[in-house]
Amino acid sequence: MASKSGRAVAELETEKSENGRKGGNGRELMLGLYKMLVKCRMCDEKARILFRQGKYAGNFYSGVGQEATEVGAAYSLREDDWIAPSHRDWTSNIIKGAPLNLCFAQLFGKVTSPDRGKSTPAHMGYPPIHTITPASSIAGQLAVGTGVAFGLKKLRRDTVVVSFFGDGATSLGGFHEALNFAGVHKLPILYICQNNLWAESVPLRLQTALKDLSDRAKAYGFPGISVDGNDVMAVYDASTKAIARARAGEGPTFLECKTYRWYGHSEIDPAKYRTKEEVEAWKKRDPLVLFERVLRDKKLLTDESKANIAKEITQEINEAVEFAEQSPYPDASELADHIWAQE
Amino acid sequence: MARNITMIEAITEAMAQEMERDDRVFVMGEDIGLSGGVFKATAGLYEKFGEERVLDTPLAEGNIIASAIGASMVGLRPIAEIQFADFITPAMESLVQQASKIRYRSAGGYGCSLTVRICCGGGTGGGLYHSQENASWFVHEPGLKVVMPSTAYDAKGLLLAAIRDPNPVLYFEHKKLYRTAKGDVPDGDYTVPIGKAEIRRQGRDMTIVTYGYMTGLCLEAAEQMAKNGVDAEVIDLRTLSPLDKDTVLESVRKTSKCLVVHEDKRTLGIGGEISAIIAEEAFDDLDGPIVRITGPDIPAIPFAPPLEHAWMVNTEKIVAGMEKLAAY
Repeated sequence: MASKSGRAVAELETEKSENGRKGGNGRELMLGLYKMLVKCRMCDEKARILFRQGKYAGNFYSGVGQEATEVGAAYSLREDDWIAPSHRDWTSNIIKGAPLNLCFAQLFGKVTSPDRGKSTPAHMGYPPIHTITPASSIAGQLAVGTGVAFGLKKLRRDTVVVSFFGDGATSLGGFHEALNFAGVHKLPILYICQNNLWAESVPLRLQTALKDLSDRAKAYGFPGISVDGNDVMAVYDASTKAIARARAGEGPTFLECKTYRWYGHSEIDPAKYRTKEEVEAWKKRDPLVLFERVLRDKKLLTDESKANIAKEITQEINEAVEFAEQSPYPDASELADHIWAQE
Repeated sequence: MARNITMIEAITEAMAQEMERDDRVFVMGEDIGLSGGVFKATAGLYEKFGEERVLDTPLAEGNIIASAIGASMVGLRPIAEIQFADFITPAMESLVQQASKIRYRSAGGYGCSLTVRICCGGGTGGGLYHSQENASWFVHEPGLKVVMPSTAYDAKGLLLAAIRDPNPVLYFEHKKLYRTAKGDVPDGDYTVPIGKAEIRRQGRDMTIVTYGYMTGLCLEAAEQMAKNGVDAEVIDLRTLSPLDKDTVLESVRKTSKCLVVHEDKRTLGIGGEISAIIAEEAFDDLDGPIVRITGPDIPAIPFAPPLEHAWMVNTEKIVAGMEKLAAY
């Protein structure tokens, strides 16, 4: 496993990040990462509550417990970079800069969502921030994201793609085909495997013979790294290095983030296949709590500033939910819209 | 200026000319570069345009299509080749869950300007897995356009139209027509509209609706039956989706009889759809049942020549269908 928090933080305190607009100095960065973790957590928990209150139908796929994998990987991306999210990555839109109004309108399936209510709650993409609206097909998004990276390389841009997926996705043929191709052509893509030990209800031991999914990368000819997915600085450190590699034309990286989802596969899954002990053990490694300790040690966070952050985000969320609730649904007359591009 | 060239030459010419005209266009597929394609459809392109624009891909149809979709999302115009329609199945996820749906599911936010060239069709001793004609799978998928030319002229014009269409277009090439369909093809730029059928033979007594390799056989059958006083109108669909039902219905209202001919298997082949449309919209104009002459509901075209011959639609079978319909 790579990079403990202490080392990464020490490096960052003395160097300016070169990646993206959110870099800044180490302290700014750490606070920014923390705020984003809190934002993702609070939005996710709110999305769960709204579903349980029957405010929207369909389903929701919570990423609570896995926030550090997304925040660490995506925080430093530039505006022109792309994200290929899958079903558990609704919050990746938030990290990439999607207005919360749109994110909550998405849950509700309102006409004000980026896809005008066409796609399901968690399957959000938003073109202005280059998050690709996903299908539910596992590994399908990864394949399309690889294609985007292929196109970007052909266009000679230094734009990169970050592709999120879970342990289950690594079993699909499409995963293999995409990574193989990315390796051949040294595509500018970072593959983030959020290994949370369960593919819905199938445990890792039945999914693969491997213990470290990063071993898969060897088959494709590019680096595979495993990190503690609940250590946001570890994820950030490994991701920014991989993103820099990709930008420099050195090709893909496979970054396995070992993590855990607190809740079921979806909001209708009670996840009885997992033991209470396992869940509790991982909850003790809450990525937010772990990072909070780091910040407090550095005197970057106090009870007061923590409360202010939460208060600010609560306000933002409440406004966004209000917006979503007030927004109309799409009219039935829109059913056949947007099938074809007009010439 | 027009020259008499084969369908495959017309296809190669379309790609070469479009790649000259439009920097965004490139070709990708198995064996298409160094080898020029297993039928030589891409012959000369690698030498002319290089690996950057003529790419030999790994053996992975799903990725061929998914990569092309992604490339088209950042503004490129890929032409992806599926070497044999029989091998399109690994690409079903990419075609049916991604290409056809990405525009719809994003309400137009993302799109897919992809052209997929697919070599299809039987009658060459290709056996079970080099003979399939499965265009109808994709006709059933709103969000994909499906075309299949029957002439060299249409082959060039339709391919240019397909490449320029900002939607995903599946362009089926019948392998038996590659070198047997010859015709006058302008050397300049032109397109054939997608979604428009072509009446190949005017007639009064019955309408034959067909496409692809079957078109030539229907024209032969029509000439035979003309000697028996049956004057058939032959419509070459050219585009299977979106179907030009106006041309079909106008013809059926004129002739009052319809025969649908396709090489593909019978059940849920496009003949079923065309029959339903005619029954719904021209019922009062019909003087006889809608007759379908199609491939049989048998899993695949077997190899042994007598078996392949028994499987394939031929002029005799079409004539028999015409005679049945003419009796009404």
